[in-house]
Amino acid sequence: MIDPNDEIFSVRDILDSQLQTRDRRKIGRVADIEAETRADGSLKLTYLVVGPQALAGRVHPRLRAFLRFFLRDRFEHRIPLSEVTKFGPTLYLRGKAENYAVGQSERWIAEHILRWIPGNGL
Amino acid sequence: MKKQWLSIALGVVTAIGGFLDAGTVATAGEAGAKFGLGLIWAILAATLAVMLLVEMVGRFTAVSKKTYADAIREDFGFRFYLLPLTSELIAESLLLAAEIGGVAIALSLFTGIPWHTLFPFVALFIWILAWRAPFDLIENGPALLGLVTLSFLAGIVALGGIPAHLLPTLWHPNFQRGSVADYLYLVAAIIGSTISPYLLYFYSSGAREERWSRRSLVLNRVTAIVGMGFGSIGSMALLVLGAIVLQPLQISSNTLGELGLAMAKPFGITGSFLFASALFATCLGAALEVLLAVSYNIAQGFGWEWGENKKPVEAARFNLVMTIFLLIAAAIGLIGIDPLQLALFASTVIALFLPISLSPFLILMNDPQYLGNKTNGRFTNIAVICILLLAFLVALVSLPLEIITGGG
Repeated sequence: MIDPNDEIFSVRDILDSQLQTRDRRKIGRVADIEAETRADGSLKLTYLVVGPQALAGRVHPRLRAFLRFFLRDRFEHRIPLSEVTKFGPTLYLRGKAENYAVGQSERWIAEHILRWIPGNGL
Repeated sequence: MKKQWLSIALGVVTAIGGFLDAGTVATAGEAGAKFGLGLIWAILAATLAVMLLVEMVGRFTAVSKKTYADAIREDFGFRFYLLPLTSELIAESLLLAAEIGGVAIALSLFTGIPWHTLFPFVALFIWILAWRAPFDLIENGPALLGLVTLSFLAGIVALGGIPAHLLPTLWHPNFQRGSVADYLYLVAAIIGSTISPYLLYFYSSGAREERWSRRSLVLNRVTAIVGMGFGSIGSMALLVLGAIVLQPLQISSNTLGELGLAMAKPFGITGSFLFASALFATCLGAALEVLLAVSYNIAQGFGWEWGENKKPVEAARFNLVMTIFLLIAAAIGLIGIDPLQLALFASTVIALFLPISLSPFLILMNDPQYLGNKTNGRFTNIAVICILLLAFLVALVSLPLEIITGGG
């Protein structure tokens, strides 16, 4: 039974949504969603997935397998759905940016590439 | 209230100064030189379209607090997003190369140094501005300098106004200097150069950088209509100058530098410098806008941190993309194609892609989920669809012809 006070979101609403952390950092967008079948037969959404393989899969399922062969899941990251405090076009996350593997490329690029360029603001 | 009028005035002035770029300068000058006043109508149609589009994208972002790229990804999904993204990357890398080349040519008109030599330094200068300058400097600085384009009007006056023998070319263009294929190619290029989609990505990101809300709607409407309306005067004035000065000289303006002759006739050496300053300011402003528009688009589409008011390390992916895209455009420019030809070609390619890049926008503009009671009216929808279709069809016909005949 659906409670009329519950906000209802479809998978389509969550896919491609902006992920924003508690410290107001934009870390990425939802590329895919994982779900598991419960013992009672119901389906529960469990994880938000972000990564190039998941994105490639949105273009064509075979592309996902193809990319996986090269990247070996190295850049695929999952965030438990329970981390989301507020749903909508932007998904607000409980933790700070540093708590999530998603979006670490931001820091990696800053520390390994931009650090060599003058005026980088470090 | 006083502050709001001040920002409206600034918005209008920058829209006027920022209207022209390498593409509009190239198309307007060449159109005048080849067909007299026969293509003024295309500038008018394109100006109407760009007024409507800029008003829309400002309204969209002020009301929904989403940029255009955000909304494409969220509403149409990742797979669809790749389409406008790819078309942007192709068209805007060509255009950015042309804009950088335009700045280099302007500087070579001042210094006499060949533009090829200046090109890498100009690219570096643009990168430094995009890397560290705050948003309002990037938006307003070159645009204020760009007001010098209004000197094109003075040029017409100094030459004694529009000669009577040119007036019939308004409705009966002269086909002696150029073929029908050239004419169609220029129609597409004029529309493509005026309503470049980079404007929409840039303008909507700018509205977010400046934290626009529903209260900004008046500012938005006035800037779009008055600013773009007056801005097109610079473009039309250059076309008229081309028709008065270049057409009788049998110059079909094959390079941006040659267009400067149009201003040298009325004002001598001062005219050449005025033209060079106008070219410098408009191409510099446009180069920054194109570069940032593409970087904004990618960062927003993938959900990364972005913004010119952040330090580079705070939006590392955005700044890395910006740097790489500039390097790609610089590499294209270093091949050595003349910026005028490149700008014409890029503008026609943009016209060809317009339906891909702007149809999602029209759909979003009619979605009350984003706009509440501020969705598009019927006139706006129909007018924009007609102009987009016109641009697309003309580009589709003329681009192959132009490639076969070798351009120019």
